[in-house]
Amino acid sequence: MARNSVGRDLPEQIPGYGPVRPFSGHKARIPEGNRAGGKLKATFNDRTDKTVKDIKEAIKASGLRSGMTVSFHHHLRNGDYVVNQVIDACAEMGIRDLTLFPTALFGVHKALIPHIKSGVISRIMGSVNGPIGQLASEGGMESPVVLRSHGGRPRAVVAGDVKIDVAFIASPSADRYGNLSGRIGRSACGSMGYAVTDAEYADCVIAVTDNLVPFPLTPVSINQTKVDFVVAVDSIGDPAGIVSGTTQVTRDPMRLLIAHHAAALIESSPYFKDGISFQTGAGGISLAVAAFVREVMKARGIKGSFGLGGITSFFVDMLKEGLFEHLMDVQSFDLVAVKSIAENPNHVEISADWYANPWNSGAVVNMLDTVVLGATEVDRNFNANVNTEADGALLHGIGGHQDTASGAKLTIITTPLLRGRIPCVVDDVYTVTTPGEVVDAIVTEFGVAINPLRQDLIDAAKDAGDVPLVTIDELAERAHKMSGPMEPVATKDRIIGVVEWRDGTVIDVVRQLDK
Amino acid sequence: MKTAQAGTLESMDCVVSLTEGAAGSGLAVTVGGASAARFGKAMEKRITETLQKLGARDLTVSVQDNGALDIVLEARVEAAWRRMTGGDGA
Repeated sequence: MARNSVGRDLPEQIPGYGPVRPFSGHKARIPEGNRAGGKLKATFNDRTDKTVKDIKEAIKASGLRSGMTVSFHHHLRNGDYVVNQVIDACAEMGIRDLTLFPTALFGVHKALIPHIKSGVISRIMGSVNGPIGQLASEGGMESPVVLRSHGGRPRAVVAGDVKIDVAFIASPSADRYGNLSGRIGRSACGSMGYAVTDAEYADCVIAVTDNLVPFPLTPVSINQTKVDFVVAVDSIGDPAGIVSGTTQVTRDPMRLLIAHHAAALIESSPYFKDGISFQTGAGGISLAVAAFVREVMKARGIKGSFGLGGITSFFVDMLKEGLFEHLMDVQSFDLVAVKSIAENPNHVEISADWYANPWNSGAVVNMLDTVVLGATEVDRNFNANVNTEADGALLHGIGGHQDTASGAKLTIITTPLLRGRIPCVVDDVYTVTTPGEVVDAIVTEFGVAINPLRQDLIDAAKDAGDVPLVTIDELAERAHKMSGPMEPVATKDRIIGVVEWRDGTVIDVVRQLDK
Repeated sequence: MKTAQAGTLESMDCVVSLTEGAAGSGLAVTVGGASAARFGKAMEKRITETLQKLGARDLTVSVQDNGALDIVLEARVEAAWRRMTGGDGA
């Protein structure tokens, strides 16, 4: 047993995961040695068409065997057909014991559950949103799920922690020589940023498309030098599940109040000036914060430099209004964002590595002034949990939470004090996703708690006079008084989830529910 | 057999359903829903105490919770009880 720097006791080895390197601070681990890499290949002018008949033929040609690792990206979100189609094909071909390495799985991937039960899939490293998370939480996976952030995942690939045998890349458009784009096609998803590192480091790359266009497809998300085979299928996804129509700002008065407080905090900070860079999630409160900040930027004539992250129509509007010079887009959330990235040269596609990997020569998160994040709960040490729900089930991925919190100069977490009866500011979070050392403020409807490590922000907020300051202890006590004491989550000893910090150290583990 | 219900499934509310039990069967309480995993026992205790205070003896109580605080839970239990017993303002 070893205790990491957020007070979690960890075993030296976790079955199905391997040796544990305890988390010891957000910038503590420095790598040595060289990058990993995929196979060398030679391709000459006798090979000018990479298309194969169907997914099975591509799998056969790739050399995929039982026990290997297959990767996928999640830009098609809950509309994705490709993961299920590929794993169905593997099952029919008798391939078993696969490690699934998706960037994230969604509700639509519950179709994989029979393949988990039958042993076609034995391990998942990636975000497990919804039904598969529930299955894992109840002990239904042989090996623990390994959770990595958007930056931690490409880090693990580049560092050789994870070797991808075959990367399957759902491509809304492709040509016969393997140029890929998410910008156009009936299944257009905009940015394909999560798939880029997989394409560079996998031994074999298979593109699956439903829009085969003449060579050369341009501009590209991933170019022909990385892609080995192209498969055209009838449909790679359901457009209704790939992108939402428009993203709405919340109308809930309590959430608007939280957003209002967060905006006041941003305006009070030294970062609210020309050139400010900004990231928010796509959630209702986050967008409302952006809406308030946008009004004040207009009123005070402030021009920002870039908006980052998962991009929504809201940020596209701010780009059009000149409130941002650029958008840096790793994932396009709605139709407006997809259209914008296709048409506006200042709306730039970036890879997850470029966005958030701590182990390269500089990710965009390092240039970020302000990020507004959410959490399922936060605690008196400012630690945040985004992975587990109140009942202890592992239902959410890390996303860019760790990366942006670590990189940004001002990291704000907005949350209601309670969700239903469940307190969201607690003594000690059930799972630590992001350590308090990189969280600068917690904003609730009952006030704003600034991390005592950031006396500069506390002073600035006091000077501004319109930020309702409270202490984190006051918030935790108030939440406790309203909800009453919580009963502990009943768990078994067995570890079903490993939460890595973005540098590959273990920040926490999730145990099997006892039910 | 008498039954009664109070509440809604709005956020931070609950639906309390009461069914009259045979004489001597006592109070049988079940709680399901949003907060049950972390507050189930506290909720059962509060429901039982509220009903005992009202003089209830033999009842099956089923609560479908959507995040009710104690003060809401008590009010819904009392409302359901008064509806069943035909008390004032029910």
